[in-house]
Amino acid sequence: MKWFGFIAVFLCGSLFIYGTVEFPGWGDPLSPTSTHVSPYYIEKTMEDTSVPNIVTAVLADYRGYDTMFETAVIFSAGIACLFLLRQMKRKKTDFRLYRHTATGITFRIEKGGKLPPTAKEFERIDGLWTPYDLIIKTTGRFIIPFIQIFALYVIAHGHHSPGGGFQGGVILGASFVLFAISHDLRSALNRMSEKLTAFFYTLGVYIYAGTGALCILLGANFLDYSALATILFVDPVTARSHGILIVEIGVGIAVMAVMVILYYNLVSAGKFDEGL
Amino acid sequence: MNIIVIIFLVLGLIFFTGGSVGIIRFPDFYSRLHPAGKLDTTGLLMTMLAAALYTIQDFSTESLLTGLKIMLIVVFVFITGPTATHAIVDAGIRAGLRPWTKKEKAD
Repeated sequence: MKWFGFIAVFLCGSLFIYGTVEFPGWGDPLSPTSTHVSPYYIEKTMEDTSVPNIVTAVLADYRGYDTMFETAVIFSAGIACLFLLRQMKRKKTDFRLYRHTATGITFRIEKGGKLPPTAKEFERIDGLWTPYDLIIKTTGRFIIPFIQIFALYVIAHGHHSPGGGFQGGVILGASFVLFAISHDLRSALNRMSEKLTAFFYTLGVYIYAGTGALCILLGANFLDYSALATILFVDPVTARSHGILIVEIGVGIAVMAVMVILYYNLVSAGKFDEGL
Repeated sequence: MNIIVIIFLVLGLIFFTGGSVGIIRFPDFYSRLHPAGKLDTTGLLMTMLAAALYTIQDFSTESLLTGLKIMLIVVFVFITGPTATHAIVDAGIRAGLRPWTKKEKAD
């Protein structure tokens, strides 16, 4: 059986390598891609969509259908991680640790023991990792707003500079992950609960696909943003530019939420109770 | 002006080189963090200062803004770099790693 697998892999691999022989050379000016599609994009992007960044225009407008399914792939990655790791059955941990905030004394409550009242004097701390670090918390609090502003900048400036929904979404997700690291998982869950995360990554894909469907309702092709001109009260060229922005925002929201849910699941082994 | 920029760049590179050599040469985890944290921060300050000075050579609002943004990078690294080093040292202590001493080496 091992040999059969090896031979199958070898045959498939050599077939792929044989296939690459037929490829045009790198940067060949006579190859089909360089003679038909690329010159059109390079010459016509500005007058078609009024977007200076050709990459963004190709990604979100000309090839918008591909990018919609890329977003769907991100979405299904988040869903798959949720199905694989999330433990729905709530199992109580063996012991819990509580800290008295004023004195710093830590209590260990065994299974079945009486928990302290959820008053302000006691705070729950993690069993393995118990950072009580004012420096890291303060730096986290200080730096997170700047990270988020930068993320919004990257999402909104996808037209004019490198960036866009995917990159900005990852940066935005990283700010939430930083919050969870610098504080703890439970305080991060208080700010950004699991339900809210699930809502956001569904919303992101919905915005993208919904924009496409709206274009159909307005009598154009799927994801042909020039149809949005009647709603947005602009000319069709600017409408394509705005359509790209709307789609990028959808992608950004989806990617951000998926990053957060991946972190939550991986760090707490699906229990959403204790984690880094 | 270019001479000042070059001086700052070379100074920054000296700090970076010192940091890289220190990471390899120092004996244990904690002392290796020392060059990694300190010299990189100073090296970054020098090189970014050089970059900022180079951009504001043609004096205008735009170049001044770019220079300000470059100095903003330094501000953020000055805040986050020491915090990261602090967190790493903290994690090392928590994991139970003892600092290296000469006495231990003799045994």
